Amino acid sequence: MTLDSAAATRSIRRGRLLTLVALLGLAGLYVLAIQFTPTERFQGLAQKIFYVHPPAAYAMQLAFVVTGVTSALYLWLRDPRLDAVAEASAEVGMWMGAIVVITGPIWGRPAWGVWWAWDPRLTFTLIELMVFAGYFALRTAVQEPEERAKFAAVVGITALVLVPFNHLTVYLFASQHPTPVVLDPSALGSPDKKLPPAMLRTFLTGMGVFTLLYLGFVMQRYGIGVRRLIREYDHAS
Amino acid sequence: MPPDNGGYATAAYIIVAVVVMLYTAVLWRRGRER
Repeated sequence: MTLDSAAATRSIRRGRLLTLVALLGLAGLYVLAIQFTPTERFQGLAQKIFYVHPPAAYAMQLAFVVTGVTSALYLWLRDPRLDAVAEASAEVGMWMGAIVVITGPIWGRPAWGVWWAWDPRLTFTLIELMVFAGYFALRTAVQEPEERAKFAAVVGITALVLVPFNHLTVYLFASQHPTPVVLDPSALGSPDKKLPPAMLRTFLTGMGVFTLLYLGFVMQRYGIGVRRLIREYDHAS
Repeated sequence: MPPDNGGYATAAYIIVAVVVMLYTAVLWRRGRER
């Protein structure tokens, strides 16, 4: 048995500490964005949603990539801890996804004039979240831990295909969703297309804060998942 | 003159903080269960 109750408790404690740091970071990000970052000329204050929406989307995609990779590793190595990481990451991805689909329309209303458009990026993000909702429905439906991990891993790997495809939707289709600003290759060598340093600093802070939130949440959720697996195996034996 | 739409950013920031703190509370409670 590779599952260790003490290690699960340690993971929860460390995750809590990291989450606390991330929450302080989020407060700092708000101060930075509101007080020390200039207001964009055309979009006004609504543009400041940019400091939380793309970082949450990045954390969501990171979460689903980790789920896909650890799912594949689970099918190879059959280590239940990998299934616990996959599940933890998928759950955190859903919460990050909730932030994405709430903050997106709040920006869309002033920028596009509508709360929601059936734009390829928006639609695809919704599909991605629905696939992961199915991932959890499947996990709930199967009681036996090894069967559950095996079936869920197949869905986790399949869903991994959606991540790069979602990223490419803004290039492949006639999408009104903005293309990446910071990682825009056409901005290289043209200073007028580059993000001003103060905005870039706040954006990168947002990316850092959401990375910490992701890690803190996953560490806690992983420990909780391992404890549940230990209970299930104890109950079965 | 930028448009006066600060209410949208405020709403987004509040919702992000609420969602993040809600999940923190959920994990805290689940982490206390043995």
